[in-house]
Amino acid sequence: MSKFLLFLGCTIPTKQYSYEISVRNVLPKLGVELVDFAEAGCCGFPLKGLNRRAWVYMSARILSIASKKGLPILALCNGCDTSLRKIKDILKHDEALRKEIADLLSNEGIKLDVSAEVYHTLEILHDFVGVEKIKSMVRRSLKGIRIASYPGCHMIRPSDIPHPEDPAEPRKYDAVLNALGAEVGYYPDRGGCCGATMLPYSARHALLIAASKIKTFKEYGFDAVSTSCPYCMEMIDGKQDAARTEVGDESISIPVFYLTQLVGLAIGLEPKELGLNLNISPVEEVLEKLGVSLYE
Amino acid sequence: MVVLTGGSEVVALEVRLLDSRVLREVKELVRPHSPQHCYQCAKCTSACTATKVIPDYKPHLIVALTRLGLIKNLLDSGIIWACTECWKCSEYCPQDVAPVEVVIALKNLSIAMGYKPPEDLKMMAKNVVELGYISPPIEVLSKEFEMYGRNALALPELVKPYTHEGTINNLKKLLGGVYE
Repeated sequence: MSKFLLFLGCTIPTKQYSYEISVRNVLPKLGVELVDFAEAGCCGFPLKGLNRRAWVYMSARILSIASKKGLPILALCNGCDTSLRKIKDILKHDEALRKEIADLLSNEGIKLDVSAEVYHTLEILHDFVGVEKIKSMVRRSLKGIRIASYPGCHMIRPSDIPHPEDPAEPRKYDAVLNALGAEVGYYPDRGGCCGATMLPYSARHALLIAASKIKTFKEYGFDAVSTSCPYCMEMIDGKQDAARTEVGDESISIPVFYLTQLVGLAIGLEPKELGLNLNISPVEEVLEKLGVSLYE
Repeated sequence: MVVLTGGSEVVALEVRLLDSRVLREVKELVRPHSPQHCYQCAKCTSACTATKVIPDYKPHLIVALTRLGLIKNLLDSGIIWACTECWKCSEYCPQDVAPVEVVIALKNLSIAMGYKPPEDLKMMAKNVVELGYISPPIEVLSKEFEMYGRNALALPELVKPYTHEGTINNLKKLLGGVYE
C-alpha cells in the first residue's frame, strides 16, 4: 500500500504552505502516491475546549469519509493525527456518544465508520519508505550538520493510544535524520510543548515557552532544528523573532526545517521546491554549508 | 474552609458554594479517567507546561477545587484557558486522574454556563463553521519580501470542505452558541 489521502488539516493549507509544498514534492519521489482530500476540513482538535462533542463529531466525520473511500489517511499535522487516533479510542469505549455522533452524521448522509487507518508523515518516511531507501536516494548529504529533532508533543502523547513514535522510546525521527547524513543528539524535554495552544489565552506567555525551547537547542550546540508539526513550526520558526524580542536575548536564533524539507534537500531538490523561501528562521546558515543558494 | 492557591495566596471559600453536580458533570465528561482518585501529589503540576510560565496555574489545585465543586473563582478568573492541552499532566499522574481532561471538561462547562472563551477561539469556531478551517488562507511574506498565497505557490485552490447542509447545521448546533 502506497496510496494515501492527503489530510492537510487547518494550519497547513491556510498558512504553513512550506509543509504542503515539501510533502507534495518529496513523497511522490519516494514512491508514495497522494490523493487530495478536499472534503476533510478541520479535525476539531483546537475546539475541544469549546465543545468536546464538536471535536469528536468533526474527527469522526473525516474518518468516516475516508473509510468509505477505502484509503488510509496521511495526517501531516500532529494535532490532526492524534485527534483522529484519540477519537477512535473514545468512540470504542462510549456507546452513548457513538450513537449521538452516528445520528449527527446521518443528517448529512454519512455512515459512522472510524475504521480508516491513520498515518503521520514520520511513519510514511520511516515505516513505509524506510531509512534504507531514503539513505540510497541521498544526493546531498547533511553530514556535519547537527540537528535537534523536535517531533512535537502530540507525536507521543497521550500515550494510552497508538502513536507514530513509541512514546517510551521515540527513535524514528532521529533514524530518518541519520539516514540523511545529519548528526543528532540529546537535549532535555524533547517531548515538550511549543506553547502554540496558549496563544489564544496569552501570546506573551506562549512566546516565553517558545523562547525557552529555542534557548535549549542553542545551549546543547545544535546547528538547526527539525519538526513535523505545523504548530511547532509556527512557534519555533514563525515566532522566533518575536520570542527573541520578548525575552531580549539575542542568542535566540536557529534555523528550523520541516522534516520533509530536509529529506527533499538531501535527495537533491531545490530550495523553492521545498518552500524554504517561506521559512522565517535563518535557514540560509544551513543551506550555505550545503553549498545551496536560496535565491537562484 | 481554607484552600491554598497560587503560591502563598490564601483564599477563604464558603462551604455553601459546594456543588456536587460539578463533580458529576466533570466525571461524565472525563470518562474513563477518574478525578475522584486524586491524592494531591502534584506530579501533574511539576510537569505542566503552563505552570512554568504562569505559576498561578496549578493542575492539582484545579482538580481539588473541581472535586469540591468550588469552581466559581476558577471560571471567573478564566485561567483554565491557559492549559496548552499538551497531555503531560496525564502522563505523570499515578492515579489516572487526567487533569487535562478535567480542564477540558471545565472549559466545556464554562461555555455551557455562559462564560466567554478567549476571543481567538471564538473566531476559530466561527471560521470552522463558515469556512471549514480555523482561519481563512492568508498571504505569507517570503525571504525575498514577496507576498505568496496558495495560487502564487501553485497549490490547489482551497475549497470549502462542506457541501452538505447537514454538516453546516450540525456544526452550528455544536459551536454556534460560542460566537453568536
